[in-house]
Amino acid sequence: MNDSLDLSIYEIVGSPLCVASEDGQKVYERIAAALREGRAVSVSFRNVTSLTSAFLNAAIGQLYGPFSEDEIRAKLRVQDMEPDDRALLKRVVDTAKEYFRDPQRFDQAVEEVLGDEAR
Amino acid sequence: MTIRLPAIRHDRAGFEALVRLSAETEGHYLSRIEIDMSQADWFDADMCALFGAILYRLGDRLNTIQLEKIRPSIAQILSKNGFLSNYGRQKRPDTWGTTIPYQRFDVKDDRYFASYIERELVNRHEMPKMSDGLLKKFRESVFEIFSNAVGHSRTELGIFSCGQFFPKRKRLDFSVVDLGIGIRRNVKENAGLDLAADKAIAWATEGRNTTKRGRIPGGLGLKLLREFIDLNRGRIQIVSDAGYWISWQGKVQSGRLNHAFPGTVVSLEINTSDTQSYVLLSEVSESEIF
Repeated sequence: MNDSLDLSIYEIVGSPLCVASEDGQKVYERIAAALREGRAVSVSFRNVTSLTSAFLNAAIGQLYGPFSEDEIRAKLRVQDMEPDDRALLKRVVDTAKEYFRDPQRFDQAVEEVLGDEAR
Repeated sequence: MTIRLPAIRHDRAGFEALVRLSAETEGHYLSRIEIDMSQADWFDADMCALFGAILYRLGDRLNTIQLEKIRPSIAQILSKNGFLSNYGRQKRPDTWGTTIPYQRFDVKDDRYFASYIERELVNRHEMPKMSDGLLKKFRESVFEIFSNAVGHSRTELGIFSCGQFFPKRKRLDFSVVDLGIGIRRNVKENAGLDLAADKAIAWATEGRNTTKRGRIPGGLGLKLLREFIDLNRGRIQIVSDAGYWISWQGKVQSGRLNHAFPGTVVSLEINTSDTQSYVLLSEVSESEIF
């Protein structure tokens, strides 16, 4: 991936403990900005020792609001994950896909995004 | 006013007794509240999280709290874990290193909570030898509970935690308490379901149910916790509002307490001799995730 953006979760969070939703939000903002520019993104979990669903929901789950599944599948790569962390991320992703299929939630999510941009 | 506290065990009766203390002191403002602990001949240390949350709330309403007639054996436990330091006693050294200190956190303290867990659980040589897989799962589970309290409870008075290790019984107890809106109200306001308090807890621990709204999805924290505890053959108890819910050895029971607690308690019992690897049977490759 020539024009891909390489992200280190450890570097962005500044800790091996990736547990807080707010830290996940920092990761999300970088991934989302690159995807909006049409770039591929490679995310490394090297040196991360703890992950929560709250962190992963904020960092990656919420991508399924503004971006399509096809877009994410084509552009986003994760690497250096422990097997159980991969399994957790898979569950977060599956739950997020389902979450954003619910129109009421999706409308509210879009409204929040637009609200943020208008500020 | 004076209130007598009975023995406090890490079970339904223990929760009932502390929630009754909360209910009976509800509405007090600028009062002096004496808690007579002469009948309390047992106090499971992790229950300090709930006890402390109730007393902190009373303090926030400008009440003066006095803990009276504490039996020496109980005073020793509650001094070792730092609980009584909040009520005028000196902290005692924990020679055997079996306590996980009582601590209050603000909702912004995610990282502080994470380092407390690392410091008090992971990096202590006195702690039981747990397998790497178990330790990672346990650590992540308590982070999930904390994240759940931060993300859902709307607590303004903080999050309280405390734990205790029992070397002979190979058990680790750990409780996290928030003083937020509780699960019943959360389910009502965000999922539109008007359930009884115990049914609301059951709802929140099942399937993909979530009270999360907005652009960040949720709905996994309590399920992950429940799955882990089932595999570990441990026990999880949740108290929220007047609901009581327990999952133990794969069996779930729930019921109503006589009084409502203004917040949520999640209390874990971990089997520390568990040697499972916790690597899930179905391997997921990096290319299959999205």
